[in-house]
Amino acid sequence: MKKKIVKRAACTFLAAAISCVPVGCSNESESDEVKVGLLHSLTGSMAISEVSVRDAELLAIEEINAAGGVLGKQIVAVQEDGASDPSTFATKAEKLIDSDEVVTVFGCWTSASRKAVKQIFEDYDNLLWYPVQYEGMEASSNIMYMGAAPNQQIVPAIEYLIDQGYENFFLLGSDYVFPRTANMIITAQLEAAGCNVVGEEYAAMDQTEFSAIISKIEEAQPDVIINTLNGTGNVSFFKQMDERNITADDIMTMSFSIAEEEVAAIGADILQGHMVSWNYYQTTETEENTKFVEAYKAKFGEDRVTSDPAEAAYIAVYMWAAACEKAGSFDVDAVKEAAAGLSFEAPEGTVTINGENQHLAKTVRIGQISEDGLIYEIYATDAPVEPDPYLTTYQWAVDAGIQPLE
Amino acid sequence: MKKAVKDPKNITFALIAVILVCMPLLYTAGLLKSTMVIFLGKCIAFAIVAIGLDIIWGYTGILSLGHGLYFALGAYGMGMYLKMQATGGRITDFMQVGGLTKLPAIWKPFLSLPASILMIILVPALLAGVIGYFSFKNRIKGVYFSIITQALTWAAYSLFIALSPYTNGNVGITEIQSLVGSVKGKANGGNLMVLFYAALVLLVLIYALSCFLLSTKLGKILIAIQDGENRTYFSGYCVSRYKNFVYILSAVFAAIAGAVFVNFNGSITPTQMTISYSVTMVIWVAVGGRGTLVGAVIGAFLINLCEYNLSSGSLVEIWQYVIGILFTLTVLFFKSGIVGVISEKAAALRRKKKMKEAEA
Repeated sequence: MKKKIVKRAACTFLAAAISCVPVGCSNESESDEVKVGLLHSLTGSMAISEVSVRDAELLAIEEINAAGGVLGKQIVAVQEDGASDPSTFATKAEKLIDSDEVVTVFGCWTSASRKAVKQIFEDYDNLLWYPVQYEGMEASSNIMYMGAAPNQQIVPAIEYLIDQGYENFFLLGSDYVFPRTANMIITAQLEAAGCNVVGEEYAAMDQTEFSAIISKIEEAQPDVIINTLNGTGNVSFFKQMDERNITADDIMTMSFSIAEEEVAAIGADILQGHMVSWNYYQTTETEENTKFVEAYKAKFGEDRVTSDPAEAAYIAVYMWAAACEKAGSFDVDAVKEAAAGLSFEAPEGTVTINGENQHLAKTVRIGQISEDGLIYEIYATDAPVEPDPYLTTYQWAVDAGIQPLE
Repeated sequence: MKKAVKDPKNITFALIAVILVCMPLLYTAGLLKSTMVIFLGKCIAFAIVAIGLDIIWGYTGILSLGHGLYFALGAYGMGMYLKMQATGGRITDFMQVGGLTKLPAIWKPFLSLPASILMIILVPALLAGVIGYFSFKNRIKGVYFSIITQALTWAAYSLFIALSPYTNGNVGITEIQSLVGSVKGKANGGNLMVLFYAALVLLVLIYALSCFLLSTKLGKILIAIQDGENRTYFSGYCVSRYKNFVYILSAVFAAIAGAVFVNFNGSITPTQMTISYSVTMVIWVAVGGRGTLVGAVIGAFLINLCEYNLSSGSLVEIWQYVIGILFTLTVLFFKSGIVGVISEKAAALRRKKKMKEAEA
């Protein structure tokens, strides 16, 4: 008798718990909506970067819907929080594809999160649009790479520096896959060009104390620091350089992870004069960019800035929509086929999807940070550079054995 | 034995197990998505760690804030084996980037399954044994021991990131399938069933083993240690030895859980080794109700299901606040957790009834 009460209580509780389990109900009916997934970290340490990318995607979706949608259907964005944890990204990617039945997903930022979901997109044969520059050495047929491959950001930047007469390079990065791979490429490139790597240092992702590293830099006397620090490390590093009165005039830096958002966080007065390499800046002069910047600021606030990853995320949505229109279907294989060779007038200029490796042909732009917090172009390639994620067209890379295992 | 069968806690656990048994059947019937089954598989892994944590915290009073370490060690062990299966024993891309030309010695045992399983159990057991031996022998207890476990986790996390040619740094082991092959998609529904039921059997076995151990004299001694450590010493028991034993046991449970988790997750990163992840595990036990075993299981399932369902759709921006408020309420008003509150209420009802019966 008495036990029954306990049992009943336990049952009630269990029933409550189970009601949390959503029982999938598929409605196959022809609706006038199409679901896409947005998978970014909205909480945790990566949220500060990924929210701006998510916003750019929402803006593009809103614009496309206002113009009549895709194939006559309105786009509905299903948002999931990756919580800055690669395993959560994997769980949520599965949920989006299988439970929510989205036709495609726009998402990820870090290489760790992309690699955690790559297998899932391949297993379920869905399509991920990835908006950030990365370390290359990858070309999954289920990922569309909207950011730069190394030969569209790192390699041209080093070439530019060599042309400018820089000889002694110091490599500084956060300790994870992008800086390590980038520095492996840079070392091979510099050796082939007869330049010197005078030091190579890695900082922990959340490191805030850089005095030891700065001392090593001072000792090594480089002409230029190649900076692949990510996130909060940049703030501490540049502030501590500033405290020691080392400015761009003393030691130049070339950064691959500092865009307009990061300049705002670190402070333009500290970063003034330093160089960065991207494919797009808020100041890039195209008609499409004027419209994009205006719309972004109108929707999210006058103090917000656009950046390369945000622009890449913005065009990802447009390119997906264009590929669907061309294919006449939302089917992943049809969209992939239609996407090959597809061109788009983006804020950064004309971009074209390479059908072989699913990357974009992009114009490379070296920029200099100005005291107003914006980045101005000081050099750009004449035409878009074809993506080469495995660097197979560069003899020095082939000689150095920078090729994937297979 | 009869008592164990009639215990409402065990009945509740049996109920949970039965519900879990039904889940893959619902999936075959088309009522449930395969991802939900995969997610419940991960929850089974979480429940296994939670049981281990409950034994040391709920019963023995040792608060470990570093069980993510043992969980990740087990997961990495399994992940390394699965990665070797995927590459066919050759070196991986991250080893090549790190400048290695042949398979490092530390990866060699993971070429065979029996050796991998041995490593999955032995490495965490050894580590926990050494830490436990020195800590408990020196009578380090309470918050000091918690801090040691945290520091250890932090050190291991940094080490795994620094040794990126061997561990792939913060990307971890990715692009792997489960022990029975791929479990994703409709074509692999059979594999998923096998894996899910294997995990469920492990959970039931570990629950049963824990119940058995706690029902023996050992269980009584553990509770005695929690209630009065010095008295237990004076009664002639070598407390440090018992503490070390349960600490190793829970570390092994965590490692087994990690190995199960990796099969469902398809990747393992050092994030699972962080302090915050370890603290999350303790929260599962706290919310479910410590010192009850079934509470740990309920907590692990409930919180993860809540997170899974809350962190999307309209709640995507505020889900962490919702979960935070739930935790705060539990800590403030339901100190003994869900199971604790329910059994207290039940006991009160029982007393009332008795009084009424007596009056009549």
